[in-house]
Amino acid sequence: MKRIGRYCKLLGIFAKYSLMSALEYRVNFVTGVTVEMGWMVIKLLYVAIVYKAGINIGILTPDHILLFVGTYMLMTGIFMMYWGNFSSLPGMVQQGELDLYIVKPVSLQFLVTLRRLDFAYLLPELIAGTAMIVTGWRLAGLPAGVVPIAGFLFYLACGCLLAYSLFLLPYILSFWIISAGGIADISSALWDFNNMPSMIYEKWFRRIGTYILPVFVITNFPGLFLMGELSPWACVWGVAAPVLFFALSRALWKFSLKKYSSASS
Amino acid sequence: MSSYRCVFLMGVEQALEYRVSFFLSMLSAAFPIIIQTAMWNYLYGHSDAAAIFGYRQGEILLYTLLATLVSQLVSTGFEWEMNGDIKMGGLNKYLIRPVGYKGYQFFRFLGQKVPRVMVIVPVMAAMIGLAFWQGMPVSAGRVLAFLVSLGLALLLNFSIFYCVGLLGFWLTDVDKLFGTISVVLTVASGGVFPLDIFGGMVEILVNLLPFGYTAQFPVNIINGRFGWARIGAGIAFQIGWIFFFACLGNVMWRRGLKRYAAVGG
Repeated sequence: MKRIGRYCKLLGIFAKYSLMSALEYRVNFVTGVTVEMGWMVIKLLYVAIVYKAGINIGILTPDHILLFVGTYMLMTGIFMMYWGNFSSLPGMVQQGELDLYIVKPVSLQFLVTLRRLDFAYLLPELIAGTAMIVTGWRLAGLPAGVVPIAGFLFYLACGCLLAYSLFLLPYILSFWIISAGGIADISSALWDFNNMPSMIYEKWFRRIGTYILPVFVITNFPGLFLMGELSPWACVWGVAAPVLFFALSRALWKFSLKKYSSASS
Repeated sequence: MSSYRCVFLMGVEQALEYRVSFFLSMLSAAFPIIIQTAMWNYLYGHSDAAAIFGYRQGEILLYTLLATLVSQLVSTGFEWEMNGDIKMGGLNKYLIRPVGYKGYQFFRFLGQKVPRVMVIVPVMAAMIGLAFWQGMPVSAGRVLAFLVSLGLALLLNFSIFYCVGLLGFWLTDVDKLFGTISVVLTVASGGVFPLDIFGGMVEILVNLLPFGYTAQFPVNIINGRFGWARIGAGIAFQIGWIFFFACLGNVMWRRGLKRYAAVGG
């Protein structure tokens, strides 16, 4: 427990320094916000098309879909906040920069993957995503008691852990291969499958995306829980998948670190 | 001319350097196609989408497939390097050599496209063949008009991004700005969705602004949406916009050079 407290405190310090740096380089911050808003427009186009068509996708009305896409945007903002650390990992391995961090008395994975937080990417997605979730929630007439809200937030938190663990896996491969640029492209394209609720895909595709490569769990489960559409088995999987994939990412990280040869220093 | 031939061949070699990365990034381009195809199939299967969006199902599916390929074909990346040349003094060597900087960038851009063309053209030909087989109005004349407009789209996109690259003369930090411009122009060109499905003002804007002529216009020639008069007018617009951006680029280049301090090099 004491250890968790220490890491939370460290995360707070990382956030503080990242915020200070964002305030120091304000133009950079503003342009970061604009680039993220550009990506947001693409996500909104999908919503606009669904509203224009005005039909339900399975049991989801356009209002439900607004909530689902809002969840996806919020998750994207949270993921993008620390994603820069993932993408700089291959460079650090190649240049031998990990040496600096490996000697510090904290978990190397924690330090390397969460040390810089980019609030410019979080801000627009957080605002737009939350607004869409609240609007969709209200328009769809979903329950707003303590249990539904707590459950929704719980599955959001599970989704955050799963997103971190699942999308770290391809970057850990940079310990093994030289150029990870293509892997980055593939994994970010994979993330975009959540642009639409999973119900739009065929059943077999949905199963793969839920149980084998569980990208759909990240943004669909909070909304499905709210609608009372998560089966007991799915409720368990929504918790088990993040734990399982986190353990997997830990194991793969530790295993790959043995391969690190401190290249150029 | 032989020096430009060398630059062209150099571009081909450069593009072939990172083969795995190249193929993975081509593969990741297929993912949005899967998402959008699933969405359109669902919408057209469950509503009178043809009347709502003004595209028949075959047209929109062919659009989804071809627009992604055309966007890949005309996409640039040299603007980052131009900015580097301007900031780090790399421009010096072009100023004293008997080779124009614009010509150098253009022929290298063309050279780098060769491997991409070799992958994309057979896929495109197969799709167009399939569309013909499915009874869409594909004729030799249309294919020819498509190829002409595709060449002009390539030229137009080069001219636009050459101007974007030249912004490096005036702006200090362009990294995220270039990212924003690239995302916004991808949307504005119809590279994600055909923007005329939103009708009214959006359609008028798409027809007047240059961006739709880099992706949406060529694709709508081949899927049979445009009559010959509209194709002729569109090609005239393409040529007009190329001329405009070429002139703008020349003015920016002359003014920019006056500011250029030839640092480093």
